Amino acid sequence: MTTEPDFLIVGSGSTAFAAAIAAHDLGARVAMVERRTLGGTCANRGCLPSKNLIEAARIVHEAAHPRYDGLYPASVGVDFGRLVAQKDAVVHAYRAKKYAAVADALDGVEVVTGTARFLDPETVEVDGTPIRAGQILVASGSRPTIPPIPGLESVPYLTSDLLDADEAGRLTELPASLIVLGGGYIAAELAQLFARLGSTVTVVARSELLRGYEPELGRLLAAAFRSEGIEVIEGARVERVTGDARSVALAVETPQSGQILRAERLLVATGRRPNTDDLDLEAAGVATDPAGFVVVDAGLRTSQPHIWAAGDVIGRQHGSQMATPVGARQGRIVAENAFAGAGRRFDGSVIPRAVFTDPPIATVGLTEAEARARHLPAVVATTPLEHVPRAGAIHRTDGLVKIVASTLDERVLGVHIVGEGAPEVIHEAAMGLRFRAKLDDFVDLIHVYPTMAEALKIGSQAFSRDVSKLSCCAE
Amino acid sequence: MPEQPPLVLIDLGVGGMTCDDCVVRVETALEAVPGVESAAVDLAARRALVRARPDVAGTALAAAVRAAGPPAGHRYNAFERARRPVDPTQASGAAEGGR
Repeated sequence: MTTEPDFLIVGSGSTAFAAAIAAHDLGARVAMVERRTLGGTCANRGCLPSKNLIEAARIVHEAAHPRYDGLYPASVGVDFGRLVAQKDAVVHAYRAKKYAAVADALDGVEVVTGTARFLDPETVEVDGTPIRAGQILVASGSRPTIPPIPGLESVPYLTSDLLDADEAGRLTELPASLIVLGGGYIAAELAQLFARLGSTVTVVARSELLRGYEPELGRLLAAAFRSEGIEVIEGARVERVTGDARSVALAVETPQSGQILRAERLLVATGRRPNTDDLDLEAAGVATDPAGFVVVDAGLRTSQPHIWAAGDVIGRQHGSQMATPVGARQGRIVAENAFAGAGRRFDGSVIPRAVFTDPPIATVGLTEAEARARHLPAVVATTPLEHVPRAGAIHRTDGLVKIVASTLDERVLGVHIVGEGAPEVIHEAAMGLRFRAKLDDFVDLIHVYPTMAEALKIGSQAFSRDVSKLSCCAE
Repeated sequence: MPEQPPLVLIDLGVGGMTCDDCVVRVETALEAVPGVESAAVDLAARRALVRARPDVAGTALAAAVRAAGPPAGHRYNAFERARRPVDPTQASGAAEGGR
């Protein structure tokens, strides 16, 4: 460190970078501390590499399974090593352009490599070197949870870190067979990815697939997985894991039966936990909850007035979610609160979210169950995509839109989509929720015909009409 | 001559400045704050050093800088980084800087 920074940021992911850029623009000298690779989870081993490979797997799958009569299946050969190498090249290029070059271009923003640990509320030690700063942001992110299953500690397993472009945990050979432990979005995305690239995949979920989302979404996805040959075991309890570098075996109990599952590799994708254990937050007087998440107020301030936390390390407080763009938004808020006295609060009420499976899933706002839990008078309409002209035209009727609306004023409270294009379509719904749109706003908006976004118009009409009797353009 | 209170040197981080006009605007805004004797802005270091009476609050200086922005375009920001007493034997402290 050449000079004492005004702002010390623990981490270098999307949260940290957004905070660093904003603080720089507000006049602050910034230091970011990173112990792994610059750019955090998203760029190196999360969203970016997974989306790269998922699209490749889609090309393989669609060639083998053309949806149109008159198109013959074709086989696209997969060289997994080269596929991984091009993915790594994409990651390296993106990291250089969006992270390293950005930090380099900002005078007064410095990246320090090493492991951060608080010595006292004002001082963070990085590999033995103390750094003092007037304002500190904990944006150290999260990592995969490892469940306490007997035998797991002595069996080699993969985590979502298999996507990493540089680290030792990365995967460069396609397993012939794979057991995916977990039923959340990461488990779902990776299970389908590997299945489509040629692995025999079994998903072992503790409850149902995509628990916490509208139940229709997980049910539809589980059916889609099974139709692609992915075995999905729900309500499963793993009793024991055994195995070695060549094969693993899981003793699995379900309410119906018990069985031994075998595969070449095991992927553990049961959730993510905050990276706070090594920070010695106690020395800083920063409070954490029992799961290790940093406790913050709505302005993202911790129990120490000059220490802030944002991104994955705050978990689901104040409506937050562990997601790249959520952290980035919070990073900017922290910078403005710390250096411009902005007094801004994080608003987590409208956060669109997507699961990049096929069919993809996207949601925003409240589920039916969440609306009821808040005692909001809500009504729901679920519309199959067969009523959406584009879905029929391109043979992609696999999916649905479920809309939750208030019975008081017909305001839309939540939108949940399974289907082609859902991660893009959801933004219309999100903007609607942001501006407190009512069902009629979605109905009155002229939509491009024929698009998947018409699902929102048709899904809104379903509250008051029989949508099977609409003419062209959903009027 | 009445006795002057000892002055302090306030180090401000300043963001949003891009040109010499910005420097003039920020300096002018800071010197208009009651209790400020002089202000010197360093564009490259994104910093202002302000000689002022000790009762001048950093938040007042920051507010003056934020209000100094032209109608469109630049938005200035400032925050107090540190303050220390000015050595009364020195004739001019604003430009001395130092950390």
